[in-house]
Amino acid sequence: MKRPLFTSDSDRSCRRYETLVEALNDAPTSQPFVTMWHDEDRVETVSWGEFRRRAEAQAVFFDSHGLRAHDTLILVMPQGISLMSAFVGAMMIGAIPAILAYPNFKLEPTKYRSGLVGVTANLKAKLIGLDEDFPQELIDCVTVAEGTRTVRVADYPPTLEGSFRRREVLPTDTAFIQHSAGTTGLQKGVALSHGAVLQQLRTLAEALKLDVDDRIYSWLPLYHDMGLIACFMLPFVYHIPLVMQSPTDWVVQPATMFELITAQRCTLAWLPNFAFQFLARRVPARNRSDYDLSCVRAFINCSEPVKAESIDEFQGAYSSCNLRPGSLHTCYAMAETVFAVTQSEVGTSDGPARLWIDKSRLRDQHRAVPVESESTGATCVVSSGRVLGGSSVRVVDPELKDLPEGQIGEIIVHSDSLFDGYYGRPDLSAEVLRGGWYCSGDLGFVWKGNLYVTGRRKDIIIVGGKNIYPQDIEAIISLHPHIHDGRVVAFGLYNPGLGTEDIVAVAELEENVGSDQLLAMEKSLRNAVVAELGVPLRTLYFKPPLWIVKSSAGKPARSATRDKLLAEHPELALAN
Amino acid sequence: MNDQALEMITFIKDEVIRNPRISLDEETAIVSGGLIDSMALVEILAKLEDVTGLRIPAGKVKPADMDTVARMFATAARVGKPRQRSLNGKN
Repeated sequence: MKRPLFTSDSDRSCRRYETLVEALNDAPTSQPFVTMWHDEDRVETVSWGEFRRRAEAQAVFFDSHGLRAHDTLILVMPQGISLMSAFVGAMMIGAIPAILAYPNFKLEPTKYRSGLVGVTANLKAKLIGLDEDFPQELIDCVTVAEGTRTVRVADYPPTLEGSFRRREVLPTDTAFIQHSAGTTGLQKGVALSHGAVLQQLRTLAEALKLDVDDRIYSWLPLYHDMGLIACFMLPFVYHIPLVMQSPTDWVVQPATMFELITAQRCTLAWLPNFAFQFLARRVPARNRSDYDLSCVRAFINCSEPVKAESIDEFQGAYSSCNLRPGSLHTCYAMAETVFAVTQSEVGTSDGPARLWIDKSRLRDQHRAVPVESESTGATCVVSSGRVLGGSSVRVVDPELKDLPEGQIGEIIVHSDSLFDGYYGRPDLSAEVLRGGWYCSGDLGFVWKGNLYVTGRRKDIIIVGGKNIYPQDIEAIISLHPHIHDGRVVAFGLYNPGLGTEDIVAVAELEENVGSDQLLAMEKSLRNAVVAELGVPLRTLYFKPPLWIVKSSAGKPARSATRDKLLAEHPELALAN
Repeated sequence: MNDQALEMITFIKDEVIRNPRISLDEETAIVSGGLIDSMALVEILAKLEDVTGLRIPAGKVKPADMDTVARMFATAARVGKPRQRSLNGKN
């Protein structure tokens, strides 16, 4: 029998919580909270009571290191229960945690240092918490802003005498900070109050018809909003069990996701678009008879542009595994509103609205013109659903004037869970907050009440759900002595074979670079990009001086250079 | 270089990277060297199971264990288990 959380039985809803930490106080002590899958022989489950004990131990530990209310704490730890309990422990003392991506240990220590200097200064971090396996040579290189110290965080901190200083936490206090990837992304710490996060969770839980019998499956990294909000804060506040893997374990053996969902009877999972296609292609078909996905209420496609073909491929591959009709969903979300802005309607057999539109008019007139699905040049777009309660969406032109239905423009958002600005960066906040509206940089249109996201005004590249700023890639390549400084352009190119974007870069060589040096150069540049950003370049072109198109201001013009490269290298589009 | 290593290298060059220009030997770092991303490891892992005839248990392998062809074989030897014959008769 369904036991909805949203009945008059408001005791079970989070309506009465004013801060996130309060939610832990009346969690069901003996029931399971997190089940962490390490490998097929090691699966660790902690109850709410055990999680609370571990979070309190972390709070005592941080307190003993001088962390106080309103101080910021940076956590650089691998995916797992220790990271989660450290995060909550910090909130218990009123401090503000921020989770950063765990580094690739091939990274050169000097680059890691430059990566952390900016973010520690921006956040004025009091402490940086690293796990016990974090390499000493990287720590030795971490020079951070004055007043910042580094500590090793144990899985089980030794019990210290006394207790930590519990602080009264107000709903308006900052609960935590979330970031997007790369040096550029780390300048934009999205500071969120307890009240804003709880507001978003109420809205999300209502939209998902969240139920006490729900169970979430996730491999999503906790430094990303989809992992942190949907797959940690949501179950944390609603006392729902969570089954978790690390992203690297999932990506190497994706079939384990279906084994876990089947065994643990998970009901909800969020995935970026590429994962739908990846799972359809990379999990051996011979194993499908072992999976029973009838328990899943919703697989939610979120964090990168939704593609109809990716969803359809997944549906085709897993319909024989008792996948429920209408269980594939979509969501449009961003860190700046805590998480979701729209969500397709869960619990009906329809799934998200779709529209067949004319491709050439979409491209040339920036307009969605519905056509018959069989007509020439028709393309299918999938909506991200309707705007959630408490949020408003407008589609506007560059002067922020509203555009008519079907016209493509920038999506701007107002929400009762909107952030106040990037932490310590009023300059960057002013660029995106206009009269209480957040300018998302995404392009889209509204049709019959549904939002369709079609592209981006900003140059961000999204690889497997991870935001990559082209300027970070360009900066890394520019450092090479044979590359003309600043004469590099990077951009994303959609790869239908992967369901996500590939990174393409073009760089101008200095004079007199021999062709015999190019292979070695390419290798070292690829190495540098992956070491720093964790994503590889798909294609790298070297060009003679003055090849890259410049803007009137004398800077490389990204979109004009992209067009020139595609025209000169038709194989680039064909390969995809 | 033995036949198994050669088969892996040929597979990675032709099927995964799809670039025969790339020079690749048993010690070339393919993941940390930026030649492939970790998503491509699934294909390589499946090939490694085929080439060695071993089953490689889920979760025992991290991307770092697959960074070079030499390491892949060492990993297979360390964690691989004999494969059970599947119903369709193939190994």
